Amino acid sequence: MTTCTPSGVLATKVGAGCAENPYKCYQCKKCSTGCPVARYAGMHPAQIMRAVQLGQYDMIFEDKFIWLCTGCETCTTRCPQGIDIAAIIDELKIIARRDGKVHPDAPSAAMLKLNYDSFVRWGRMWEVELITRDVLKRPASAKAWLSLGPKMLLKGKVNPTLKKGDAAAMKRMVQNAESITNARQQKGGPA
Amino acid sequence: MSAKTLAYYPGCSLHGTSGEFDSSFKASARALDLTLQEIPDWECCGNTAAHSINRLLSVALPVNELAKVEQDMKLDALAVPCAACFSRFKTGAHEIEDEGVAADVSAVVGRAYNGGVAVQNLVDVYHDTVGLEELAAKVTRPFEGLKVACYYGCLLTRPPKVTLAEDPEYPTHMDAVVKTIGCQPLDWNYKTDCCGASLALTEQGIVDDLVGRIITDARACGAEAIAVACPLCQVNLDGRQTEILRKQSDWKSVPVIFLSQLVGRAIGVDDKALGLKKHLVDVTAVMA
Repeated sequence: MTTCTPSGVLATKVGAGCAENPYKCYQCKKCSTGCPVARYAGMHPAQIMRAVQLGQYDMIFEDKFIWLCTGCETCTTRCPQGIDIAAIIDELKIIARRDGKVHPDAPSAAMLKLNYDSFVRWGRMWEVELITRDVLKRPASAKAWLSLGPKMLLKGKVNPTLKKGDAAAMKRMVQNAESITNARQQKGGPA
Repeated sequence: MSAKTLAYYPGCSLHGTSGEFDSSFKASARALDLTLQEIPDWECCGNTAAHSINRLLSVALPVNELAKVEQDMKLDALAVPCAACFSRFKTGAHEIEDEGVAADVSAVVGRAYNGGVAVQNLVDVYHDTVGLEELAAKVTRPFEGLKVACYYGCLLTRPPKVTLAEDPEYPTHMDAVVKTIGCQPLDWNYKTDCCGASLALTEQGIVDDLVGRIITDARACGAEAIAVACPLCQVNLDGRQTEILRKQSDWKSVPVIFLSQLVGRAIGVDDKALGLKKHLVDVTAVMA
């Protein structure tokens, strides 16, 4: 049996990162009933909120839920306490990455990073690049594209080329944002 | 009233997997006397990735584009037809209402944005900027009662504190637009349910399940077509049906059409600009 040791550590971290107060949650579970992906994970949003309040860091990161969250904002829209739950889930993804706690069976985590790296590299996100790099890293994923990919290409649905944005301006903004964020973290303030 | 100039932010998908959204939107705008000026050298808005990797960057990227529109282009309105980009722009503008966030964002961007740009999604452009009366006056080829389920998905309306959408649980502005061009909008259950969004790249089984539920309900409510205003919704609802059909041979596909294609067809935009051949589920019968 799992025992919970309330620590408040995670709640403090999460609250600092996204200006949300997880302690306002009183477990009505409106977030969970509206969540499109709760049924595909071990935990649902209200459980995530409770685990955040209790500082149950590992319980959250051992489940795939945060990596299945699509960011549909239904939980945030419906929360009677006005908590931006989707922002808390984003913050949990940021903490998981920072602390090396990304779920081993969550390809969406790697895809988000490929996506980020793509627009940082070119100034714009290159959809074809994401799929190509994902297939190179995770050859099993090629199976998912065998049927749909060629159909989309044949219909001209996919433009395989990229028109770059202002990559230099993008790099400057990324560097600025990362250095401000890192400085805040070292001071223990909002990430 | 029209004859207005809007800044235009196409976003990555409209140059990648949704060229027909770009071309149909631009052609419909032209026919509606709107002038679109694309933001020069626009950057990615940060999409789904930035806000779960670097929050500050995710706010700064759209605000940088808004500052270009306000201070370089000197325009007061920006059309962002992609619902996901629209959401990032509205979120950016909302977040910098906090002075501390605004100061950090200005440091990242290199200048301050003063809030002078109205951000409009695809539905806003037709419903508010053009207006239903003006749109009705431009209709030359009205649909004859085509039954359409308007699918808003997530980010056109949620979260309402950011989008300021009137009724985020059961929006009706897209319904009003399709009614104006001669379609019959339907009441149905999945107007604002998520299609699975970018999980289509990694968790196709989940997306097939979510898409299957949405389309099954639309069909049960009588839909002959589904109208969308988001490139990811379109590629998921359209493309995943061909995969569902492989697993389920009695699946009855429903065409999934951008609102800009429906409007464009009704106001006389040519088929090439509408991009009707790019759909995986054939749309020619309903768009004829």
